[in-house]
Amino acid sequence: MNVKNFFNPRNILILVGVGIALVIPLIFKAGQYTMLLMTTVLLYAILASAWNIIGGMAGQLDLAAAAYLGLGAFTTGTLLIRWNITPWVGMIIGGLVATLLAMLIGFPLFGFKVKELWYALSSSALVVVMQSLFMMWNEVGGPTEKYLPVGTSPWYSLRFNDYMPYYYIMLIILVVVLLVNRWIRYSKLGYSLLALGEDEDAVEVLGVNSQSSKLKALAIYSFICGVVGGIFASIYGYVHPAFFDTSMSMEIAILGIVGGMGFIYGPALAAIVMVSFREVLRASLGSQLAGLYLAVYAIILIVVALYQPRGIAPLVERGIKKAQTYFVELTRGRRADIKSS
Amino acid sequence: MLETATQGIITGILMGAIYALIALGLSIVFGIMNVTNFAHGDFVMLSMYLSFAVGSALAWDAVATPLITAPLMFLFGIITYYLLIDRTLRQMYVVQLAVTVGLQILMRSAALIIWQAQPRALQYSFIQGNIQIGDFQILTSRLFSAVVSLIFIAGMAYFMNKTWAGRAMRAASDDLGAASLMGVNYHKTYALTFAIGSSITALAGGLVMSFQQTDPVGGIRFGLLSWAVLALAGLGSLPGLIVAGIIVGVVESLTVSFFDPRSRLLGVYAIFILVLWLRPRGLFGRR
Repeated sequence: MNVKNFFNPRNILILVGVGIALVIPLIFKAGQYTMLLMTTVLLYAILASAWNIIGGMAGQLDLAAAAYLGLGAFTTGTLLIRWNITPWVGMIIGGLVATLLAMLIGFPLFGFKVKELWYALSSSALVVVMQSLFMMWNEVGGPTEKYLPVGTSPWYSLRFNDYMPYYYIMLIILVVVLLVNRWIRYSKLGYSLLALGEDEDAVEVLGVNSQSSKLKALAIYSFICGVVGGIFASIYGYVHPAFFDTSMSMEIAILGIVGGMGFIYGPALAAIVMVSFREVLRASLGSQLAGLYLAVYAIILIVVALYQPRGIAPLVERGIKKAQTYFVELTRGRRADIKSS
Repeated sequence: MLETATQGIITGILMGAIYALIALGLSIVFGIMNVTNFAHGDFVMLSMYLSFAVGSALAWDAVATPLITAPLMFLFGIITYYLLIDRTLRQMYVVQLAVTVGLQILMRSAALIIWQAQPRALQYSFIQGNIQIGDFQILTSRLFSAVVSLIFIAGMAYFMNKTWAGRAMRAASDDLGAASLMGVNYHKTYALTFAIGSSITALAGGLVMSFQQTDPVGGIRFGLLSWAVLALAGLGSLPGLIVAGIIVGVVESLTVSFFDPRSRLLGVYAIFILVLWLRPRGLFGRR
């Protein structure tokens, strides 16, 4: 990748976006509530971008994001509560445990060629199964919250008094996940995954091992979810089986779809726009009527899915292309005039 | 031990017949239109709330409420079809997922707005009480609901095989192009199919309301149960649906009586996932 290619309008936009995200908390001195909301938005952006690898590229409609997130949260939380192991280590172990579960489920699923709807349903069922299991497993989960100790050093126990550090940790992870997306997209794995999403049988004939490609995508996705789960537990300061949330898992998938499947920045963009919007709605409507903000949010999701079925990323792409030709014409305008005359 | 098992199996069979009815609507919509309605469980949830509204406003028994809620759900089905489902038919498969999950969130929040978060239940139904046979007892409400479910599924089998509308539906599912040439308007047929599927949930909802309460998030359970029944039964076999419903009901009931009430769905999902791995067409699937 050379410098000229890197500074195309799309990457400049992403860099500007990250730059804005970096300075927003410093300029606006945002309150704690706002910081928590922005951290939540980044959390959804990370999960939707991770989903893009298994859903957008490999075409597997995974609805189990919260199963891996919850497992990562419980691993991190339990390691800290029981053995005082720092979440910095815990979240990596959490990611690995989530990956292990994903492999145990994914190996037979992909082996038996379970796909599309049935893959979606079995992954959705996985979230409910995990929730019931942790509800019954009293030593680790159970119906009451297990609180994470604050300890002596906030950096060791990853328990801060304000949300600012979490915000920046999430932002760093988001950038890393976007880079991973980019790296996969232009690697051999990415091309095989994209082709798999189109026509699996044809790709198999060409000598791509579809099972192992899908497993790799699932492994990366579940690892990211598990790691983020560790931070999720730290932010909230407790672990609870409600972390295994079917609605959240479905929302992640929808954000991935609405963002534009397979576009690197699409799901993150959709998450940032839609989740911010949802939270603004919640803040303005939530006090009047419980559930109203979700109804409005759902209607907007449906409308976007119906009228922009390929997602919002293609819209942005079109805008970028227009801007590009406009600038090219602006700089080369005179020369073009001379040639034509 | 043996007694607990027998009691569990009896309860499971009765619940299973009701599960088969709940899955019937989904089976028709998915089998004929190939539409994956992720909001199916929430259709059941909405039906139960409608039953609650009708039952408490008119002081009707829960099992009588489908007389009013079934036409309402039929209408709701037609509106949903033309407003949402019809527009997803020619789209990518994922659009259907996004739209029906959006519908699910919408229905759940609507229920939350209208009926608030606390569970709602109707007064005890006239079919409350139980029948004692030897050492075992059968809840009358369950028995009644199971019998009604079985009769209704049999009636539906008759409708699908013997009437023009039913045959048109099956023809559209087998070969849409050929069916269109024979004068089947697929928009209308699909709208009718979806509305019938939706009004069946009204009947199921009324029956379930005679012994259960409803809350805004109750749809998830019914949705996943229905998909499990459908996966087990395979498509296109109504007797298979009953057997699959009963298997699911018995497994659930035995897990509750021998293991832990909180694990009631674990056994069901274990079967569900095993079926997906080993027999993707289900036990009785036509295709």
